[in-house]
Amino acid sequence: MEAPMSTSRSGAAAPAKSRRRLQPWEWAPYVFISPFFILFLCFGLFPLLFSVWLSFHSWDAATGLGGMVWVGIENYEFVLGDEWFHKSLFNTFWLAVASGLPQHLVAIPLAFFAHTYLAKYRNTVVGIYFLPFITSSVAIALVFNSLFSRDFGIVNLALTSIGNFEVAGIHPLAWLFPTSNIDWGQPQYTKPMIAFVVFWRYVGWNTVLYLSALQTIPNDLYEAATIDGASRRQQFWYITLPLLKPMMFLAVTMTIIGNLQLFEEPFIITGGTGGLDQAGKTAAMHMYNTAFVDSDFGTASAVAWVLFMLIALLTVVNNKVFSQKD
Amino acid sequence: MSSVSLRKISKRYDSEGPEIVKRLSLDVHDGEFMVFVGPSGCGKSTMLRMIAGLEDITDGDLMIDGVRANDIQPSQRGVAMVFQSYALYPHMTVGENMGFALKLAGKPKEEVKAAVGRAAEILQISHLLDRRPKALSGGQRQRVAIGRSIVRKPKVFLFDEPLSNLDAALRVQMRIELAKLHAELKTTMIYVTHDQVEAMTLGDRIAVFNGGKVEQVGRPLDLYSRPVNQFVGAFLGSPQMNFIECRAGVLRGDALDLHFGDVVRSVPLAGMAAPSNGDPLQLGVRPEDLLVVNEGLGLPATVDLVEHLGDATIVYATDVVSRQSLTLKAADYPAEVKAGARIGLMPRIGSFHLFAADGRSLTRQ
Ligand SMILES: Nc1ncnc2c1ncn2[C@@H]1O[C@H](COP(=O)(O)OP(=O)(O)O)[C@@H](O)[C@H]1O
Ligand SMILES: [Mg+2]
Repeated sequence: MEAPMSTSRSGAAAPAKSRRRLQPWEWAPYVFISPFFILFLCFGLFPLLFSVWLSFHSWDAATGLGGMVWVGIENYEFVLGDEWFHKSLFNTFWLAVASGLPQHLVAIPLAFFAHTYLAKYRNTVVGIYFLPFITSSVAIALVFNSLFSRDFGIVNLALTSIGNFEVAGIHPLAWLFPTSNIDWGQPQYTKPMIAFVVFWRYVGWNTVLYLSALQTIPNDLYEAATIDGASRRQQFWYITLPLLKPMMFLAVTMTIIGNLQLFEEPFIITGGTGGLDQAGKTAAMHMYNTAFVDSDFGTASAVAWVLFMLIALLTVVNNKVFSQKD
Repeated sequence: MSSVSLRKISKRYDSEGPEIVKRLSLDVHDGEFMVFVGPSGCGKSTMLRMIAGLEDITDGDLMIDGVRANDIQPSQRGVAMVFQSYALYPHMTVGENMGFALKLAGKPKEEVKAAVGRAAEILQISHLLDRRPKALSGGQRQRVAIGRSIVRKPKVFLFDEPLSNLDAALRVQMRIELAKLHAELKTTMIYVTHDQVEAMTLGDRIAVFNGGKVEQVGRPLDLYSRPVNQFVGAFLGSPQMNFIECRAGVLRGDALDLHFGDVVRSVPLAGMAAPSNGDPLQLGVRPEDLLVVNEGLGLPATVDLVEHLGDATIVYATDVVSRQSLTLKAADYPAEVKAGARIGLMPRIGSFHLFAADGRSLTRQ
């Protein structure tokens, strides 16, 4: 009976003297996980919050933190009324649709084909389609710039040699194909070119996504459908597509998010300028240029947050579209 | 009229691979409930899937209603299949699942609805028609899967281990319902299972499969009481038939001496082919046909364990001569039969089997 009493007495006395010392095994775990939190706070959370703060200021980074001037929602007003921003948004949406839609329209049947008809070579074929995704964008830019070079590009060579194809003194294909080299740098070609590169780069990625979803559909369902009298086409339509819906939601969401942030491909293909008439300048490029070319970090931050809200909105819409029923 | 006739059917999954089904011939009569039973991997599902058209037939002829069906599309064969996994379309409601085949066939909506309604009534799932499969219990899913096949009004129902995914109690219940369903529809059914109890209780006739061949076909009780070979004898019945090694001795009139090591006992040989003196044999006796007698009269054995199941008592014993474990089953045993006791064992007259070295039964069929 004595021992417990003495413990309780010393326990009551301790707080009065000093706070109990933390033992190493109590604080050590926090030290070990701290690098993540420190890095995340410095390079994740802080810039995020700072950019919100910044978007309500006018600031030239060269003047230091003291040069920040509160301007309220002026930056947002400017951005929403800025014609260059409108144009870059238009370009972004144009590219998002022109490169995004075909990605899925091609990737789904391609994945279905690879899944259904290719047994031995499935991984090889899909691997080849996937290759552009892991290729450095600088290499991609190099290849495409040389392909589409005006005087030495293989694309022009192929097109003009068809256009100049001659039979008995007349050129039967000249009405459809060019007879002299095309300048692919002209604004009307910029967006299609970028869209094609983006499509080419991400179609394999989407194919892999859809293929993995296809592989989770039990074979029994196709067998049951076969006995129920469904042709291969009907099986695709009635079994595969509905069961791919969750993956379609994920893949389309990722494409939307990715495409609205499109930066690398247009930046490299247009040499960072956005091309003639800014035809290839995306919203992300606009933001980059506002910040680092015009040194207007406040406006650039506002652009970033407007873009963020747009993406969030579209994701919500996408969610609604794909999740009706079930 | 819808019979299924298998004529020397063979199956290889790839041309150099093993023959999974070996020149199998079998007739399934109109309206019959035929059960394919056999150990796992013996080719039952493969055979069933060839009938359904889900696998190509490597060789031989499949006749449905007297018409060669090898090259007929699965959906045109007039068969419906119930899968072990149920294979319900997860994105469709129960009603849509059941009506899918008719919808594909281009039937008008009202007709599909009426057919689905009728099938749902038979299976008592009318209240589930608007639900998705994932909102159903295992037993309900099973019913929907059966309903889906009923709606098509097939000539032949094919079942591939349809009850394996259900718990024991539900399995018994569904088994009874399947038997009722067959009595009601009177359609030809082919049912694959590895469970001999299902086979015995459901089948009008049973085909016992082994290694891609049919060992024996017949009515359940005929197979049970007159197996053509040791495999069929061992496969049907639980607890399993006992096999006791012995040697044929001299035949005196109708009585054959059997040598169990040094112990010699004579058995009446009614209805069996006589073995030659010295032939190695297996004496096959079902647990309920192995009787306890005085130690000196029968085959000497020691009791290992006595299990009282309430309705029956099971005795596990070891044969003193060959050290084989034996199982006995009866309603009750005298109190002397307890662990450690020495007893004598004797087969019930007329209810034992002799199998030759190659496994064939000496009983004349
Ligand atoms: N698609 C397949 N390809 C190759 N071998 C198969 C295939 N399906 C089944 N087999 C083989 O055929 C044999 C019989 O299989 P199965 O008919 O499923 O047996 P059961 O249904 O009697 O258990 C097994 O040895 C199995 O490995
Ligand atoms: Mg099987």
